[in-house]
Amino acid sequence: MGNVTLEHVTKQYDDVTAVNDMNLDIQDGEFVCLVGPSGCGKSTTMETIAGLTLPTAGEITIAGKDVTKLPPKDRGIAMVFQNIALFPHMDVYDNVSFGLRLRDFETEEIDRRVERAADILQIGDLLDRQPSELSGGQRQRVAIGRAIVREPEAFLMDEPLANLDAKLRVHMRTELQRLHKELDTTIIYVTHDQAEAMTMSDRIAVLNNGQLQQIAPPLTCYNEPANRFVAGFIGSPSMNFIEGEVGHDGFESEFISVEFDPTAFDVSVGDAVTLGVRPEDVHLTGEAGSIAHPTDPVDTVTDVIEPMGNEIFVYLTHGSRERTTMDEEQRKGDQLLMSVDPDVELSEEEAVTVRFDRANLHLFDQQSGDARCHGLVSSHSTATSEQRTTAED
Amino acid sequence: MTTAQNTDAEDGGGPFTNWVKSAIENPGKVHRAMFYVALIFFMFTTLFPIYWLVVLSLTPNDLIVNMGPIPRGFNISVFVDMWQTVPLHQYMFNSFVIAITTTAYVLLVSSLAGYAFGRLEFRGKGGLLLLLLIISFFPPAAFILPLFKLFTGNVVLFGLHSPDLFNTVGAIIVPFSGLFLPLSVFILTTFYSQIPDGLEDAARVEGTTRIGALFRVIMPLSAPGLSTAGILTFIAVYNEFFFSFLMTTGQPENGAPLVWGILAFQSQYTSLYNYMAAASLIGILPVALIVVVAQEKIVSGLTAGAVKE
Repeated sequence: MGNVTLEHVTKQYDDVTAVNDMNLDIQDGEFVCLVGPSGCGKSTTMETIAGLTLPTAGEITIAGKDVTKLPPKDRGIAMVFQNIALFPHMDVYDNVSFGLRLRDFETEEIDRRVERAADILQIGDLLDRQPSELSGGQRQRVAIGRAIVREPEAFLMDEPLANLDAKLRVHMRTELQRLHKELDTTIIYVTHDQAEAMTMSDRIAVLNNGQLQQIAPPLTCYNEPANRFVAGFIGSPSMNFIEGEVGHDGFESEFISVEFDPTAFDVSVGDAVTLGVRPEDVHLTGEAGSIAHPTDPVDTVTDVIEPMGNEIFVYLTHGSRERTTMDEEQRKGDQLLMSVDPDVELSEEEAVTVRFDRANLHLFDQQSGDARCHGLVSSHSTATSEQRTTAED
Repeated sequence: MTTAQNTDAEDGGGPFTNWVKSAIENPGKVHRAMFYVALIFFMFTTLFPIYWLVVLSLTPNDLIVNMGPIPRGFNISVFVDMWQTVPLHQYMFNSFVIAITTTAYVLLVSSLAGYAFGRLEFRGKGGLLLLLLIISFFPPAAFILPLFKLFTGNVVLFGLHSPDLFNTVGAIIVPFSGLFLPLSVFILTTFYSQIPDGLEDAARVEGTTRIGALFRVIMPLSAPGLSTAGILTFIAVYNEFFFSFLMTTGQPENGAPLVWGILAFQSQYTSLYNYMAAASLIGILPVALIVVVAQEKIVSGLTAGAVKE
C-alpha cells in the first residue's frame, strides 16, 4: 500500500516558512502533481517526503508507517531528480542497480530487475555505457530505471522533464503516463508546468506561498477553482478577473454587470467580489446563440490580436478611456482576454459586443480570494455544489 | 651556423647584430630562445643533484675527495654492498609504514572534515576554517619540545601519564598527521563542495547514509583531489627529517626512517659517501615512481577550483 500522507507539515527556515501546515492524503497508485510558481514550497514539500530535509513540525506517513524521522533510505521511496543526478563514475548498469546492490540483493535478482526496467524503458543496449555518453532523454530514462528497479512504495519526481527540450518533454510525458499505468505505483510529481500537471495527474495539488490552495482532479481545478490563485494559475492563458461588488441585480463593476439574483447564491448585497471568466467563455454576440445562458452584451473595442493558429486571442478594452494615458495597473484592470475561432475575422480598434457564458462564471471574495460560487445560473447552481461535494469525497 | 655566418657576411653586420635584427622582425624567435634558456636552467637545477648522486655512488670512496663532475671509476657493486653494511630495507620499510599510515589517517580525517566544511552549513564554519589555516602556519619546530615531553610520558593528565611513544613510529605518525591535516582539509573542502547536491541526495534516497554517500559517490568523484592530498602528504612525510631525527634514536627496530638509514653509513671515523649516495638514489625511487604514475592526477588536482568550468 503506497499511500502517502502529510499531516500539518511545516518547514521553517531562518526567516522563511517554506511549507506551512501542509495536509495531503495521497492514495495508493495515485498520480499527484504538486504545482505552483517558483518558490511556492513544492520542492521543499517533496524533500520532506523524501527525507532529504526534516520538517519543523508535522508528521509524514508512507504506506501506513510513520517516517517523519527516518533517513531517506528507509522510507521505501525512489526519486527522480531535476538534474537527473546519475553517478558519473558508474556505467548505466551500475547506476540502475546501485540501490539494489546496497541492499545486498542476489546477483540474479538484480539482473532480473535491471533487465525488466531496461525493457520497459528501452535502455537495454545502453547498459554498459557511461552516463556522459548518453543523450538527455536517455539519461532521464536511466534515472527513471534506477527508481523503478527498487520497486518502491512511491515515486517522487522533482521536475524530471524540466531539463529536456520541448519535443522530448511531450514525448516523455506520455511515456511517464504509460509507465504509471504499467507499474500502478503512487507517483508524486513536482512541476511548475501546468500543462504537465493537467495532462498526467489524477489529482493536482496547487501550492502557493507554502500553502496548499486546492487538491482536486485537474478538471475540477479548472472548472471549480477553490480560490482566485488557483483560477489564475490553472489554465493558459489565465482567467480574466473583473473587480466589482454584488448589487441587488447581480454583479456590478465600472463597465461590466452580470444580472443574477444574489439570494440564490452564496453572496449577499454589498459584498466586494471579483468576477472570473476564462477567455474561452467570452463570446462575440454573433455566436452567442450557441451558449445556453448568455449574459447581457458588453460593448468593447479590440486592442491586440494574437493569432495562434488553432484559435485567436483578442485583447478587449473598454473604448471609453484613452489607453495611452493609463498606467499599467489600470490597463490590466480594464483588459479582457477573449479566445475566438481562427476563422473569425477581426481587426484592431474594432468595436465589438461580447457576452459571457453564465454557466462558467466564477465569483471570488476580494478580501480572501476564496471562491464564492461557480456558474451564475440559478437552476444550475445547486448541481454545481453537488458536483463539488462529490469531487471532495 | 655556417649559413647564418654567410648571411652575416652579406649584410655586413656581426652575427649578434643580425640575430637581434631578425629577432625584432620575428619575436617568436626570442620566445623560443627564452623558453630554452629557462628549460635548461630548470632541468639543470633539478637533474644535476641526481646526476651528482650517481657520480658519487659510482666513484670508490677512497677517490671521492675533491670530486669533479666525472665519475672516477665504475664501482656498481656499491648498490649491493650497502645492504650488507646497513639494513637499509628496514629503514625504508619504516618510512613506508610511517608515510602510508599518516596518509591514510590524514585522508580519512580530512575527508570527514572536508565534507563538513564543503557541504554543510553550520555556525562557526568560517571561524574554524580560519583557525585551521592559522595552525597550519605554525612552524613545526615550535611543537618539538612539548611533543617530546608528551611522547616520553612526562605529561600527566587526570593522574594518567601520556603514552610513551618515543622511539616508535607512533611518535612520528602522530605529529605528522596533525601537521599535514590542514592542507588536505583545504584541498578536499574545495573538491567536495563542487560535487552537485543532487548526486548526494540521489545516493541517500537510493540507500546510503550521508557517510555512505561520501565514500561511495563524493570521494570517487573527487579522485584527483584525494590523490593530490594523498601524494603531497606521502612525499612530505617520506622525505621528512626533523621529527624523525629527534623522535627516534636511529635503530631500525625502533621505527627510524630512511634518513636515519642514510646517516648510518657515517660513523665517528669514516663516512661512506658512495654508500650514502647510493642509498639516497634507492630512497628516491619509490617517490619518483609514484609521481610518474600519478602526475596527471596531481596536476589536475592542483589546478582544479582555480578556474570555474
